[in-house]
Amino acid sequence: MTNFNWLLDGSIVGLYLLVTMVAGLMVRKYVGKVEHFLVAGREMDVYLGIASLAATEFGIVTCMYTAQNGYEKGFAGATPGILMAVAMAGVGLTGFVIKPLRDSGVITIPELLEQKFGKRIRWAAGVVIVLGGLLNMGVFLRTGGQFLVLVAGLNVRYLEIMMTALLVGVAVYTILGGMLSVLVTDFLQFVVMSVGLILVTILILVNVGWEKLVTTVETQYGAGGFNPFVNPTMGWQYVLFNLMLNTAAVLTWQTIIARVLAAKDTQTGRRVYTGTAFFFVCRFLIPGIWGIAALATLGPVANTLEAMPTYLSTAVPAGLMGILVAAMLAADMSTDSSYMLTWCSVIYNDILAPFRKRPWSERKGLFWNRTIIALIGIFLLLYGLWYPLKGDLWTYLGVTGTIYLASISVLLIACCYWRKANSWGAGAAILVSAAIPVTYLVMEQLPSTGALAKSIGPYYSGIATYILSGAAMVIGSLLKPQSHVEGRTA
Amino acid sequence: MPNHWFWWALTVACVVWYSTITVYVAIKGAKDIKNMLARLDATRKKEAEEQ
Repeated sequence: MTNFNWLLDGSIVGLYLLVTMVAGLMVRKYVGKVEHFLVAGREMDVYLGIASLAATEFGIVTCMYTAQNGYEKGFAGATPGILMAVAMAGVGLTGFVIKPLRDSGVITIPELLEQKFGKRIRWAAGVVIVLGGLLNMGVFLRTGGQFLVLVAGLNVRYLEIMMTALLVGVAVYTILGGMLSVLVTDFLQFVVMSVGLILVTILILVNVGWEKLVTTVETQYGAGGFNPFVNPTMGWQYVLFNLMLNTAAVLTWQTIIARVLAAKDTQTGRRVYTGTAFFFVCRFLIPGIWGIAALATLGPVANTLEAMPTYLSTAVPAGLMGILVAAMLAADMSTDSSYMLTWCSVIYNDILAPFRKRPWSERKGLFWNRTIIALIGIFLLLYGLWYPLKGDLWTYLGVTGTIYLASISVLLIACCYWRKANSWGAGAAILVSAAIPVTYLVMEQLPSTGALAKSIGPYYSGIATYILSGAAMVIGSLLKPQSHVEGRTA
Repeated sequence: MPNHWFWWALTVACVVWYSTITVYVAIKGAKDIKNMLARLDATRKKEAEEQ
């Protein structure tokens, strides 16, 4: 049973979808070049950047795993959000990495890496970024569908149909308008999403009450529900892994970096970072409170990922339910569109680069970009249906994201700040940081090695990836003393 | 002061900051879009004239 009213709430959702689609399609006339399509002609200003970055980095999948963190770990589950906010504010204030990156005028990170490490590393970095990014994004659709089915009280058989419809709608305006459509729809989606998040949070704080939330966490998790260092499922290794992961994400996650690259200048890119930093605390804490409220209301449940939407389906009244579903659709659509465009930009700009012996015409470039987005959409549908998620969602996202975050962050820092870094070190760093997470994921899936993977755990595996990737860069670079400069430094 | 003041203060900060920034970004972001599209339109017309 759910409070979703098809007439009232359905109308709100329908109106939101209509306005978004119209806005997304209207700006397609401004797309005449590949640069317009991929980085909005580098015309993005601060507030549009903040709205777009916040909307992109908050999808239904975010809401689901942060609520799951709240349900399973209490307030301590919001720790990754605090770490990310600190990392983002630090990078924005200092301009660490993002300043030389934006100053270089590149469209993607591998394009900058080529200047230091050569064409092969650019290509390999592109492959690693797309591999890690698409594996990461693979679970977005199913998780988003799960939320909508549960909250709206739909039959679970419609999940795949909903996933497909959602993706097709997003793909249409992304294919036609590229980054311009993404920015404009992100802005609308930020407003709708934020209104929904704030209203539902206030409703929960008023109805459930702070004391009940705190008492529930104390009863279920004790001090570990408030302090990650004493939580038996977290500990120092969880905090360290998340510090490394979130710092690397702030520096290199292509969907975040895309906002710096689309900014009209470096200073604007840095202001987008500092202005959005605290949002990442909200991004974890607000859905975390929803998860704690689900725990306080429903008690222990078998599927912790579904606890929050199950709780909201009856806790949120009709009318507000429409705003909530529209908000979550907004969150998901902005994330999907940005992610599809981002991985497309790397495939086009870096992986296909060797096949463009001569520069392609703008028309041909736009055609291929649009085709790549359509193909990514098809992949997501297939992978989203196939992959059986094991363990918790945040850990899966962390492990798959680490495939590229570890290597690319090491490469990018070395590219910008270490004169002796070279292609041997870069190649070694890429190999090490792809091999460890992929091996861990495979071990986790195989019955014969599942127990060993569990005993190692994702946090030690993740920490090892970052440390060994850095070590590989240093050792590889020092093993090959350069007799000449491979490329110019950033 | 409520129990676990750190999380209480952080929760209040999130709700207050997020509410404020939403209104502020909604107004300023709309202006950014208008200016961005105007600049792109001007560039497009200029390039069309040059051709």
